[in-house]
Amino acid sequence: MADVVDLPDLTSFDIKKIKTDLIISQRESYERRLVNAAKWAAELSQAVVATIDKKELQQTEDDEEFWEEYDAYMLAKSYFDLKEFDRAHHTLRHCNSPKPYFLRMYSLYMADQKKKADNLPDSNDRSEPLKNEILKTLQTDLAAKCSNNKAGLDGYGLYVYGVVLAKLDLKQMAIQILVEAVNKAPLNWAAWTELAKLVTDKEILRSLQLPNHWIKSLFLAKVFSELQLQEEAINIYRAFMRGGFCDSSYIVAQIAVTYNDMKDFVMAVATFQHLQVMDPYRIENMDTFSNLLFVQEKREELAHLAHKCCTVNKYCVETCCVIGNYYSLRSQHEKAILYFQRALKLNANYISAWTLMGHEYMELKNTSAAIQAYRRALEVDERDYRAWYGLGQTYEILKMPSYSLYYYRRAQALRPNDSRMVIPLGECYQKMDRLQEAKKCFWKAHCIGDVEEIALFKLANLFAILEEKDQACQAYTEYINQTDGVNSHNYEDLSRSYWYLANYHLEHKNWDEAYAAAQKCTEFAETREQAKGLLRTIQTRRGQEGPCAMTSMQLDTSIDGIAQTDQSNQGSPPRAFERVTPVNLKFTP
Amino acid sequence: MSGETWLPMSVPDKHHYETAIFWADKLVAVSDAVEDVFWYAQTMYYTGQYHRAIHLLTSRKLIKAYPACRYLAAKCHYECKEWQEALNVLDMLDMSFTRASSTLNTSLGQNLPTQDDKEGGDAALLRNCDNSICLLRGRIYEAMDNRSLAADCYREALRLDVYCFEAFDLLVSHHMLTATEEQDVIDSLPFDSQCPPGEAEVIKGLYQSRTKKYNCPQEAVIPEVLAPLADNLDVIVSTAEQHLYNCNFRAAHKITTKVLNQDPYNSQCLPIHIAVLVELKQSNDLFYLSHKLVDSYPDKCISWFAVGCYYMLTENYPFARWYLSKATTLERAHGPSWLAYGHTFGMNNDHDQAMAAYFTASQIMRGCHLPVLYIGLEYGLTNNAKLAERFFSEARGIAPTDPFVLHEMGVIHFGNGNLPEAERLFRKALSHVQACTNEMLEERWEPLINNLGHVARKQRRYQEALDYHRQALLLCPQSASTYSAIAFVYALMGNHADAVNYFHKALGLRKDDTFSTTMLTSSMEALMAEISPCDGNIEIQMYYHTEDLIN
Repeated sequence: MADVVDLPDLTSFDIKKIKTDLIISQRESYERRLVNAAKWAAELSQAVVATIDKKELQQTEDDEEFWEEYDAYMLAKSYFDLKEFDRAHHTLRHCNSPKPYFLRMYSLYMADQKKKADNLPDSNDRSEPLKNEILKTLQTDLAAKCSNNKAGLDGYGLYVYGVVLAKLDLKQMAIQILVEAVNKAPLNWAAWTELAKLVTDKEILRSLQLPNHWIKSLFLAKVFSELQLQEEAINIYRAFMRGGFCDSSYIVAQIAVTYNDMKDFVMAVATFQHLQVMDPYRIENMDTFSNLLFVQEKREELAHLAHKCCTVNKYCVETCCVIGNYYSLRSQHEKAILYFQRALKLNANYISAWTLMGHEYMELKNTSAAIQAYRRALEVDERDYRAWYGLGQTYEILKMPSYSLYYYRRAQALRPNDSRMVIPLGECYQKMDRLQEAKKCFWKAHCIGDVEEIALFKLANLFAILEEKDQACQAYTEYINQTDGVNSHNYEDLSRSYWYLANYHLEHKNWDEAYAAAQKCTEFAETREQAKGLLRTIQTRRGQEGPCAMTSMQLDTSIDGIAQTDQSNQGSPPRAFERVTPVNLKFTP
Repeated sequence: MSGETWLPMSVPDKHHYETAIFWADKLVAVSDAVEDVFWYAQTMYYTGQYHRAIHLLTSRKLIKAYPACRYLAAKCHYECKEWQEALNVLDMLDMSFTRASSTLNTSLGQNLPTQDDKEGGDAALLRNCDNSICLLRGRIYEAMDNRSLAADCYREALRLDVYCFEAFDLLVSHHMLTATEEQDVIDSLPFDSQCPPGEAEVIKGLYQSRTKKYNCPQEAVIPEVLAPLADNLDVIVSTAEQHLYNCNFRAAHKITTKVLNQDPYNSQCLPIHIAVLVELKQSNDLFYLSHKLVDSYPDKCISWFAVGCYYMLTENYPFARWYLSKATTLERAHGPSWLAYGHTFGMNNDHDQAMAAYFTASQIMRGCHLPVLYIGLEYGLTNNAKLAERFFSEARGIAPTDPFVLHEMGVIHFGNGNLPEAERLFRKALSHVQACTNEMLEERWEPLINNLGHVARKQRRYQEALDYHRQALLLCPQSASTYSAIAFVYALMGNHADAVNYFHKALGLRKDDTFSTTMLTSSMEALMAEISPCDGNIEIQMYYHTEDLIN
C-alpha cells in the first residue's frame, strides 16, 4: 500500500526494544487505568521471549509536584478501580501534575459514560435530547489546558482530549489532537486505537503525520483491515508472526478476523479454532467467529460456541452476540433480538449488535425499527458496510429507490470488491429506469467475481430489454455456461435463458442452436408446453427454409414474451423479500 | 439618669427594648427634655409601636420644631405603609434645609470625621438628618411608584453624604439609572470634599464595582484600587456577576458557591447564585437552596424568587408563576422576579401575558435594557418585526454596546432581507463579545456565530458560511440545526454528497425536522442523478462481439 503510507520496515525486528517498550507501555497505561491498552501490551509482551536490559525499565523519576499529589492520586486510583469515578475525580480536583491530572479528567469522562449507559432508555428510540454537559465541560477545561504553553497536556492528556472531541463529533480536531498524542507518547496504544476509529478513508490516513515507531505498523494493520485492505493488513500481521509473536493471541485473532473479511472462510475457521486452543477462555472476537459460523450455517459449532461463551461470561457483549446469532440461525428472531438488546444494554456502542439487530428486525418485517438500529450502528461507526447495505434493503422495501441507491452506493464504496454490494445497486438503477448505469453495475459485479452468480443473468435481461440482442444472447450463453455443471437450483432463470436463446436463434435461422435450446426448455416445468410448440415451429420452419413474413411474426411474439417476463421480474415484490433471507443478509461481517 | 447613659448600652447591644421603654417612660415623666422624648419615641419605633411613637411626637408638638423628630415620625408612617402621611410629615420641613442647629441627636447616622463638632455629640447630626430625610423621601416615592422622583431623592441623599451606601444601592440594585447615568452619578459625587484623601479612590472603586454589568461584556477582574479588599465577599460577588453576564456560568458558579460557603445567606450573592443555577440547570441544588431560604426567610422576596425559579427550571410553569407573583407582591420592585414571571409565559408561547410582565419590569427597572429587549423578542416571535425593531432600538438606547441587543437587531434586519446591515450588527456584537475573552467563546454565543454563517450563505459566500458554522459546531457540538445549516450550504454549493451526509446527521439528532427531510430528499435525488455507478473510474462495457458462443 505504498501509495497510502510508507510502511515501517518489517524485515528487521528489534525484539529486545519491542519487549522493553511493551513493558513500559503496559506500566504507563495501567498506572493511568487505561486497562484495555494495558491488557493489550501485557498480552503481546507475554508472547515474546527476550532478555532485556533491566536498567531501561527503571522508573523515570517523577517530579516534586507529583509526589505532593501522590496520596490523592493513589486514593483516586483505588476509587477508580472500584468504579467510583466521580469520587476519584473529586479527590483529584486540585491536582495538576500530568499523571493525576490525566486520571482526574479520565475519571470524569468515565463517570459521564457510565451515567449515560445507566440512564439509557430501555427501548432503542431516542426521544431524549443529547446531554453532553460534562463532555463540554471537559472540552473547555482540556482546551484551556492544551492552549496553555507552559503547563500543556502530555501525550496521555492529549489522548483524553482527543477522546472527548471524538465523542462530541468534532472529528477533524480529534484526529489532529490524537496524532499529537501518539507523537508525544507513542506507547499509548489507547490513543492509537482511538485514532484508528477515526480514520475512515485513505485520504485521512495519507494526511496523518505519524511517528516512525514499530507500534505504528500494528496501528496500520488495524486501519487497513477496517478500510477493507485485508491483503496489506495480513502482511503486517504475518510479519509480526515471523518476528516472534506467533504465541500472541492478539495477532492470531486479528489474522482470523482478517481472513474472515477476505472471505477466506476455511482459513478463518481454522485460525479461530487454533485461537480457541491457544486461549480457551477468550471471549473477544468470538462474535466475529459466530458470524462466520452463521454464514457457513454450522449449527453445531455455533451451538457449542454459544454454550461455551455462556459458561465463561454470561453478561458480556460478545456472548450476547454469539447467542443472538445462534437464535437467529434457528429462526427464533424475537429471542435473537432480545439478546442483541442485552448486548446493547451492556455497551450501547457495540456496533455488531446494532447491525445484527437491524437484520433481525428486517426478518420480522419491522422496517422502522430496522432503520433505527442500522442508523445507530452508523452513528457508532460509519464504516460498517453491513448497516449501509441493510438500510439500502429497507428503503428498497419502502419503495424509496433514490434513498436505497444512496445506501447501496455507500456500502459498495466501502467494499469495492464485493459483488454482493454491486448487484443491488444495479437493481436499484434498473428500477429507476437508468439502464445504462445498471448495465455497468452488473458487468462490474461479474468482473470482480460474482459470488451469487446472478450478475450475468441480470445483465442479459437488461440487454434483452434494450433490444441489444446479440449482447443479450452472449450474456445468456455465458450465464448458462457458468451455471452448467454446478447443480444450480435456479431453474426459473435457466429456463428463461434457454427460452430467449431458442427464440433468438430461431430468428437468426440457426436451426441447430435453436433446437438445442428449445430442447433444454422442455426440461423445465415453466416452459415445457411453450417449448414443445417452439420445437414444432423450428421443425416446420427448418423444412420450409423460412419465408420472411413468418420470421418477422415470430420475432414479434418472442420479444413480447421477453419483455413481459422481464416486467414481472422487475415488479415482483416477493423477490425483494425473498432476498432478505438470513443467508443473504449475513454475508461476512 | 440620662438617655445617653443607658440607652445605647441596653438598646443596640442587648436589644432590651422593653426595658428601655419602661425606663424611658419614667425618664420622660421626670425630665421632659426633648432628647428624652425623642429617645422614648425611638424605643417605641424599635418595638414596632409606630403609631404610639407618632402620637407621642405629635402630642408633644416636636414634629414642627425638630427635623429629627419629624424624620422619625415620617419613618414610622413609612413603616406602616402610610406613604402619603409620611410625605405630609416630611413636607412640613422646608426642603431648603436651614443650617440652624438642633440639639437633637439621631443615632441613625454615625458621626462623620469631617463633621465640625460645634456642641460635642449633640450637634453632629443635622446633616445626617438631611440625607436620611432625602433617603426616606426616595423610598416613599419609590413605594408610590414615582421612580424618577425617587431616583432624584437618592441622588440628593448621596450627594449630601457620599458614604450613604443605601441610597447608592437602591439606585443601582433597582436599576433606576442606565449605565452611563450611574457613571455620571459616581463622577459627580463630592468625594474630595467629604472623604480623607486616599479613601476617595477606594469608595469610588467600591461603588464602581457595584454598577451595572449588563451593558457590555468586560473582563471579570478585581480593579487595582480594591486590591486590599480582594477577599471581601462583596467585591468577589461583583466579579461573579460580571462572569454571569459574560455567560461564563461555570466561573460564576465557582465563585458564588465559595461565597455562599462562607456566608450562606449573603443577600448580594443569592440572586446571582440562583441565576447561575438556573443557567446550569442544577435543579437539585436550586431545590435545596430554595427550601433553606423559605425556611429561614419566609417573608423575603428572594426566597420565593428561588422557589419560582426552581419550578421554572423544572418546567412546571403554573407553580412557577404562582411563586414568582408571590415574590413580586412581597417586593414589588424586584425586577428579576418580574422577568422570570414573563419567561414562564414566554416559554408557554403565551406572548401577550409575557409582554405584560416584561412591561411591568421595564417600568421598575428603568435603567436596564433587558425587559425592553424581551418585549422586542416577544414581538419578534409574534411576527411583528416593526414593533420588535422599535423595542430593540429602545434597548439599544439604554445599552448601546450590549451584544445581545445588537444580535437581535441583526436578526430583525436579516428577516427584513437587509443582509449587509444584519452582518454589520452581527460582527459588531461579535467584536464586543470577543473583547472580553481571549479564549474560546462561550456556548451562549453559538446562535450569533451561526447567524453570521447564515448571512454569509445568503450572500453566496459559501466557504465563509461553512467556516462560521464549523466554529459554531465547536462551541456547541452535536447541534441538529447547525448540521442542517452546514448541509444546506453544501447543497447550495452543489456538493450533494456532503449535504446528504450532514442532513443525515441533523435528522439523526432531530427526527421531525421537516426542512432537513425535504432537503435531504431533494439532495439525495440530485446526488443519485449525478453519481457514477460503482467506483470513481467509469468502466466501459466490453463484450465479445458477434462470435457465436453457444456450444
